[in-house]
Amino acid sequence: MSEQARPYPVLMETLDDIGERTDTTLRCIDHEPEVWESRMQTTCECLSKAGILDNLERRHAEDRLGESIYKRFPVQTRSVLTVAHTLMDRGLFTEQALRDKMSSVRARLEEK
Amino acid sequence: MAKHHGDGHHDGHNAFDVSSKVSEFEILELAVRELAIEKGIFSAEDHRRFAEWAEGVGPHGGSKLVAKAWSDPAFKQRLLENGTEACKEVGIDWLQPTGVGTPSDYTFFYVLENTPQVHNVIVCTLCSCYPRPVLGMSPDWYRTPSYRRRMVRRPREVLAEFGLHLPADVEVRVHDSNQKSRFMVMPMRPEGTEGWSEEQLARIVTRDTMIGVALPRADRTSDAGSLAEQAR
Repeated sequence: MSEQARPYPVLMETLDDIGERTDTTLRCIDHEPEVWESRMQTTCECLSKAGILDNLERRHAEDRLGESIYKRFPVQTRSVLTVAHTLMDRGLFTEQALRDKMSSVRARLEEK
Repeated sequence: MAKHHGDGHHDGHNAFDVSSKVSEFEILELAVRELAIEKGIFSAEDHRRFAEWAEGVGPHGGSKLVAKAWSDPAFKQRLLENGTEACKEVGIDWLQPTGVGTPSDYTFFYVLENTPQVHNVIVCTLCSCYPRPVLGMSPDWYRTPSYRRRMVRRPREVLAEFGLHLPADVEVRVHDSNQKSRFMVMPMRPEGTEGWSEEQLARIVTRDTMIGVALPRADRTSDAGSLAEQAR
């Protein structure tokens, strides 16, 4: 299945939360990974082991998408953007399903 | 009797801030994971098992290997001859966490010894292959096309960006990782560490020294520290 060349709006909306990439040198883009980043790498391993999205294939997609339609995002967001983008491209879930799931997750995590 | 915590602290820890905003990426990650679990692609238990493994690996594994090799010539020989087997002597099993490794990690592992004439550095031009069982998760910059593309073409220029300036008579060898082969650099033991224990030595063998973009020093115990030094 071919890759959608346009970014998904549901993913572009997250840019407001993290801000555009600002790195200028290799060293300044080294940072302590946040918990969600480590969890995302684990999700990538599970997807690869399940034969849904091979790690090497994902890394190539990260390069392709991260240097083009999601270029404004910081490097550490590439895995989650690429996985979400690719799984929607492949019809594993729709953009609306992702949006709905994000709403329910947000409501749970922000519960006071 | 319940303790009073009116000052917002509990045994020196700050109370949980209920007003803190949840990151949209935290939400996105969890949403993608839950959708995958609902579709039956993997289970929450699969995810927990991989997460537990990932949390246990880090550069401390590689630091132990190097410190032991510096202290024990026979171990050093075994490490250079069969890295995967020698790893077991410090408790690192490349077959974890599934019995066949992770989908991207069970490969041949080679340790590259630096000498006064040769400096080694690792890269993955193809993607971001990295010896995770011994170094943990790769730094962000290691995965960038900027590092991967330029390290194989102009290694001295890239090393200089990390503050590493090597003499012209030192040969720089760049090792390109791939799906079958992973590498780690064994730096030279620095001066001023005579008589040190393996624990002391391990503290100066930082992640960047095992990638090859920094050199260990007796007074350097953190890659972040060297960044601060450079900024001064």
